[in-house]
Amino acid sequence: MRVAVALLAILLAPIPAVAELLDFSGAEWARIVRHGPWPLPFRADPSNRVSGDADAIALGRTLFFDTRLARDGRLSCATCHDPALGWSEQRARSEGRTTLTRNTPSLLDVRLRRWFGWDGAHDNLWATSLRPILDPREFASDPTAIADLLRGDGKLSACYDRAFGRDIAGVDAETLAIDAAKALAAFQETIDSARTPFDDFRDALDRGDRIAAARLPLAAQRGVRLFVGKGNCAFCHLGPAFTNGEFHSIGIPFFTAEGADGGRHAGIKTLQSSKLTLLGPWNDDPDLAPGTATRHVDPQHRNFGEFRVPGLRDVARTAPYMHDGSLASLRDVVKHYSDLDPDRLHNDGEAILVPLKLSESEIDDLVAFLESLSPTVRTSDASSGPRCN
Amino acid sequence: MRSLASSLVLLLAATGAAEACEPPRLDASTRIDGKRHVLLFRGVPSPPPLNTSFAVEIAVCARDGASVAAPRVDAWMPAHRHGMNYRPSVVARAPGSFRADGLLLHMPGRWEFVFEVGGERLTATQTLD
Repeated sequence: MRVAVALLAILLAPIPAVAELLDFSGAEWARIVRHGPWPLPFRADPSNRVSGDADAIALGRTLFFDTRLARDGRLSCATCHDPALGWSEQRARSEGRTTLTRNTPSLLDVRLRRWFGWDGAHDNLWATSLRPILDPREFASDPTAIADLLRGDGKLSACYDRAFGRDIAGVDAETLAIDAAKALAAFQETIDSARTPFDDFRDALDRGDRIAAARLPLAAQRGVRLFVGKGNCAFCHLGPAFTNGEFHSIGIPFFTAEGADGGRHAGIKTLQSSKLTLLGPWNDDPDLAPGTATRHVDPQHRNFGEFRVPGLRDVARTAPYMHDGSLASLRDVVKHYSDLDPDRLHNDGEAILVPLKLSESEIDDLVAFLESLSPTVRTSDASSGPRCN
Repeated sequence: MRSLASSLVLLLAATGAAEACEPPRLDASTRIDGKRHVLLFRGVPSPPPLNTSFAVEIAVCARDGASVAAPRVDAWMPAHRHGMNYRPSVVARAPGSFRADGLLLHMPGRWEFVFEVGGERLTATQTLD
């Protein structure tokens, strides 16, 4: 009787769904595999002599969460770059001492970027870290105030001495401000996104393990097929970080109540007038080797209204989307490309940008794929490491 | 017979037949035979990497034997109707030998390399995955 009951229980138990793998073509396999492996190894930034240094990372982590960097003591970097929100925020537009014109970009995998900010106005992480501290609309601070903070706090001073290998007392305010930015950069270089279900799928494809690859839900598999195929997404969202790091106009309006946002056009002007670039005296690499792109960047008419292509890792956590935060959800983003208005695009812009005219189920599939770029289990992130004490 | 040869020479000249010239040696390069120039080029590294700055080495000669000024170097994607976001710098290394730095091909697909030398436009395509 007991055996019969057990047999009945087995027969009545729900049949586990058999995992299935789509019939990806060889070309699709190759395109998918190019989005890995992940994570990428750390490479120190040669323009920042404290890149990768544990003491500098601790100093940068401490400063990142310190509201004393702002003139009114109300803001820290983490106010807008919230670790719990993929180091971004939920507001459409950043809120400093006033409402700004752009959405706070995520800092995930920021060390891999060639250009920083939505307009690429900076070519290195330390200069882009200093910008909001000095900006009158944000922290509204200045080098003297930054220096006073570092010199006046014994823990910060000791941390500085260890990180930079010199006595803070003999360092001028401008150098201290830039060193603070380099410590902030060293910390932000540790903000990596974690492995995801997509990475397991990609690695399984790469080693020919069809059973393991089939663990990615079918909707996400259909979504990745669209991503590397009909959607043309992988032309710009390429490589392991899902971005080419360059700039495109995708039909998002760039006129605001405050006027036109020139995007990359304005970014190049700012870059070329700055002394805090890889071609300037604050680059710690004596050969200025990392400055090749800066030396050759070419301002063009089509740059007006172009914005940086963001990476897509953990993108489900960094809503809202686009440079102005105008799209609330991933579904809105996919629908934007599905219904793209060609009249909003530059005549001399990207010719392959055409309305995708996706079905509702295709939109669901692309969203499912984008969600597979987030980790299923979250472990401690970069915010939980050592600080100056 | 001499008359026939002379006629042939005249005929070739009248039809603009190209004279031969030999650019400085450049191993493992792509050759472009233009009407007035012959150009060899190769990426450094080769093949050119996707979305990473690279250089191009160039060897060129003029079919009429004239010296050659530095070519203008560019690349664009015909299907996308846009080029690079960067303007390469070109330096001479020896007579007929040049190096262009600062190229960056930021999207996969078919790229057309464009060399403008002595008023002639020479092109060659490469596909990047």
